Amino acid sequence: MKSIFNLFTSVKFTIVLLIFFTLSSGLGTFIPQQRSPDEYVARFGQLANVLIGLQLTKLYQSLWFIVLLCLLALNIIVCTLNRLSPKFKKVFRPRLIIKTKELIALKIMTKLKINKSLDTTKKELKRELSSRHYRIKETEKEKKAFLLARKKILGWFGADVVHLGIIIILVGGITSGLGGFKKNLIFSEGEVLDIPEAGIKLRLDKFETEYYPNSSVKDWKSTLTILKKDKPVLSRVIEVNHPLSYKGFVFYQSSVEWDWTNPSVEIWIKKSKNPSFLRKIKLKVGEKVRLEYENTQIAVLYFFPDFVINERNEITTRSLQPNNPAAFIEGWQADEKIFSGWIFTRFPDYSRIHSNKETDFSFELKDFKTDQFSVIQVRKDPGANFIWAGCTLLMLGLFLAFYWSSREIKVILEEMFGKTEITAGGVASKNKDAFQVEFKKIAANLRRLN
Amino acid sequence: MNESILFQIAFILYVISAILYFSFLFSKKENTAGIGFKFAFVGLLFHTIALILRTIECGHAPFTNMYESLSFLSWASILAYIIIEAKYKILKAGPYFILIVIALMALASSPLMPKEATPLVPALQSYWLWLHVSVTLFGEAFFAMAFITSIMYLRTDLREKKNKVVKSSPSSEKLDSISYRCIAIGFPLFTLGGLIFGMIWAYKAWGRYWSWDPKETWSLITWFVFALYLHTRIVMGWKGRLSAYIAAIGFLAALFTYFGVNYLLAGLHSYG
Repeated sequence: MKSIFNLFTSVKFTIVLLIFFTLSSGLGTFIPQQRSPDEYVARFGQLANVLIGLQLTKLYQSLWFIVLLCLLALNIIVCTLNRLSPKFKKVFRPRLIIKTKELIALKIMTKLKINKSLDTTKKELKRELSSRHYRIKETEKEKKAFLLARKKILGWFGADVVHLGIIIILVGGITSGLGGFKKNLIFSEGEVLDIPEAGIKLRLDKFETEYYPNSSVKDWKSTLTILKKDKPVLSRVIEVNHPLSYKGFVFYQSSVEWDWTNPSVEIWIKKSKNPSFLRKIKLKVGEKVRLEYENTQIAVLYFFPDFVINERNEITTRSLQPNNPAAFIEGWQADEKIFSGWIFTRFPDYSRIHSNKETDFSFELKDFKTDQFSVIQVRKDPGANFIWAGCTLLMLGLFLAFYWSSREIKVILEEMFGKTEITAGGVASKNKDAFQVEFKKIAANLRRLN
Repeated sequence: MNESILFQIAFILYVISAILYFSFLFSKKENTAGIGFKFAFVGLLFHTIALILRTIECGHAPFTNMYESLSFLSWASILAYIIIEAKYKILKAGPYFILIVIALMALASSPLMPKEATPLVPALQSYWLWLHVSVTLFGEAFFAMAFITSIMYLRTDLREKKNKVVKSSPSSEKLDSISYRCIAIGFPLFTLGGLIFGMIWAYKAWGRYWSWDPKETWSLITWFVFALYLHTRIVMGWKGRLSAYIAAIGFLAALFTYFGVNYLLAGLHSYG
């Protein structure tokens, strides 16, 4: 038991853990995580079974990684506590009576003789130290006076505060992992969805997509209303980066999905022999429209948002995103089919229209319209507040550790034949050079008493 | 005057500065290095105006693609160098450091980097873009500075050990301590910008503060390497060579987080 405890108090063990942790997290970035077994077999062949067996395919959620994380947490806790109690004692209940040789052993120390009485010297020294914002404790014993002057004592605890922050962050991570809740809601405008976990219903009043002039997406905005017992309690517009919080539940604008069940398209018709001829028609897929020209009817038979011809030579859609919108159109005169073919929004030059009869029509698929679903993610993350508290402590601790230099000066004053002999030594947690300069200045100011 | 001309002027000034610095290394005339320093400073001014113009021109923080972020990193690095030089006086680190900046600037102006400003995708439209990226890159600039001083330490230390009498300037102790000072600045900045601001932004934009995305994981790895540096140094008293090696590895990890993840590993951070 004792040897296990000793292991956890050792910094060498920390270093081994840090190295292991670093290497294994790095490994996880080179193996795609959380994919299907087939994908691993396709990519790694025989090796796939080994990877899956060692849980390297879900490394950050694997038992051994979590054990490693717990060992590190335990190591941090044990090391910090182990150092903390002597440190507390030193800082809050310091030993005032010390031996001269303890001071002589310090790197920053000095010995002085002042031609004044002990009381005068001590008064002057205390004045000097207070003017430099030192706080002083003193005592006397056997005609010797002992001074302990300190400032910025919190600087000694920088690393401990950092460690506490990290532990709280880990606690937050565990809390999120165990108590978190996440759900994707796919809404169309006007729809009300029940969220029993939060005891509320959510209504999407309005959904709009904003575009940049170059037609890339600028933002998605959803107007949400929270209903409690079917009564609206809160209405808010949310967009990406601006979620809505309600009693621990947070609603995020996640993305959009397209509803391709009933799209409509806008087609521009031109005639090559007549440049001024332009007809813009809007119609739904499956609909037939009569042009007031040469008694022609036109119909859109199919529409694919992301047109592709697959390995089996079938025409299909690669995704539900409108990456390559394409429509298949047919034209009729009386009962005779005169043309048919595919037209593309992004690639008008690739449009292929097969004509059975001499015509000079050309077609462009200018636009399409369809409903969009707003995808709203609902989350409850009980760990998040721990994380922010931990992060605050972490930064505070780093600041204390690097920039809040604690300084401590110990002085023994002894009266000898009306003169005072001073032995002084000092310690600083950081920036020892600057401390040495201050220390020398204090000594020089005292010497001026002579 | 447009942004790209100002950028090129800054680039040329940095190159002149590097030439002066290197001639100082050979001639040992501190005067030359002093002029080199002034050139770098004037370059920084031009570069600052270039970044401001870029911000006005594209209407968002100037680090949304590789060209912009490289330009900003070079700018932050020069600023970091000027701060360290003003405080600790290590002119000899100048030539090597300016060389890193020139490499970054050259990469930024290479035809491989698309330079046109593109509108921001929804996830990037947040003031956290400013906070997260700028603070992180500043941290990395100080890591770069620590890298240079660590490498110089390794060389100086070797030379001092070989010819025992010769004390070089700057001394190996000074280089070791400057390297530590740079990490003492870079580490808190990187923690704040890279990890904490990153987590806050991820929470606001994606709804989770941590998702083991490769960029996140590699930031954490970088952080752990520097944590290792601090523990071995402060608790175990490993100064000198081992410390210098760890600082160098830390910078390489930061470099991989910055470049490697974008080009080699796919993830949530694949923006530009």
